[in-house]
Amino acid sequence: MTRYLEDFTVGESVDHRRGHTVCTADNQMLSLLTMNTAQTHYNSDSLRDYMDGEFAAPLLNACVALALAVGLTSDDMAAAALDDLGYDALRMPAPVHTGDTVYASSEVLAVDEQPGRPDVGVLAYRITARTASGVVLTVTRRVLVKRRSHWGARDAAFDERCHRAALDHLTATEEET
Amino acid sequence: MRQYADFVPGRTFAHHWGRTVTETDAVLFATQTHQYQPALFNRRYAEHDGHDTPPVSGLLVFAIVLGLSVADLSESGGTFLGADAITFGPTVHVGDTLAAASVVVSRRPSTSRPGWGIVTWRTAGTDQRDRVVVTYRRSSLVRIG
Repeated sequence: MTRYLEDFTVGESVDHRRGHTVCTADNQMLSLLTMNTAQTHYNSDSLRDYMDGEFAAPLLNACVALALAVGLTSDDMAAAALDDLGYDALRMPAPVHTGDTVYASSEVLAVDEQPGRPDVGVLAYRITARTASGVVLTVTRRVLVKRRSHWGARDAAFDERCHRAALDHLTATEEET
Repeated sequence: MRQYADFVPGRTFAHHWGRTVTETDAVLFATQTHQYQPALFNRRYAEHDGHDTPPVSGLLVFAIVLGLSVADLSESGGTFLGADAITFGPTVHVGDTLAAASVVVSRRPSTSRPGWGIVTWRTAGTDQRDRVVVTYRRSSLVRIG
């Protein structure tokens, strides 16, 4: 069920159901896709000279870690989002490596008006991402979310239109068994 | 590669390359990072939401602008310490071309890690119409000397 702005309550917490096991491709492909040339994300040999050899395995790109953490919250928090407004206080208290499984939880900080936009509002929430070893990322997000009062019927009609042909086809034809 | 001594507060960097965001980038990044906001991977839904061309996740815009800045700022350095005030301007759409520039905000020696410093930069990303699409501050450890 898509959650609209009206469905969020300040102070509520959500433990998001899905996790994501980080693979080498997440780090290498998404780092290189986004022009990130830091070798710690794609060259294991470079770690010998990095931070006095402190790390044995490549570190997950912080932008990718952020995107994965936010993504794990998106189905519950931002399915009705129209636009990202910003992020703040992004911290990574521990590195993430290939093979680590990331889970995310959220806490709603504020539900605000967006001046001049009665059809949407601003959802502010704090994201905490964890692996088996503890907290690996914290950030706050501000995102523009649709109000059900303005978008609910419109979105439902659109959804119905998108599926009508398939449903009509199924009800008009008999399954051969 | 640049070192702590190069990061004099106020020094600016115009970062290399630039990057046009394609629909492949946008959909690959959104799907591989679980961004379940349909307009990011469903053209019909993007039109329903009011976009003439598909929108691009702010997280991808942030990642590309930061990526473009790495060779100048942090490639020689140490770990990522954080980013603050990541603020988006007008929505980036498929086909837009990003450019990035940064300025050194501050630097100081690390108190917990001798031989290392903490450098903070402010970075801005723009599109081909010179609109500022993202700004943020970030800090990294950088080796001294």
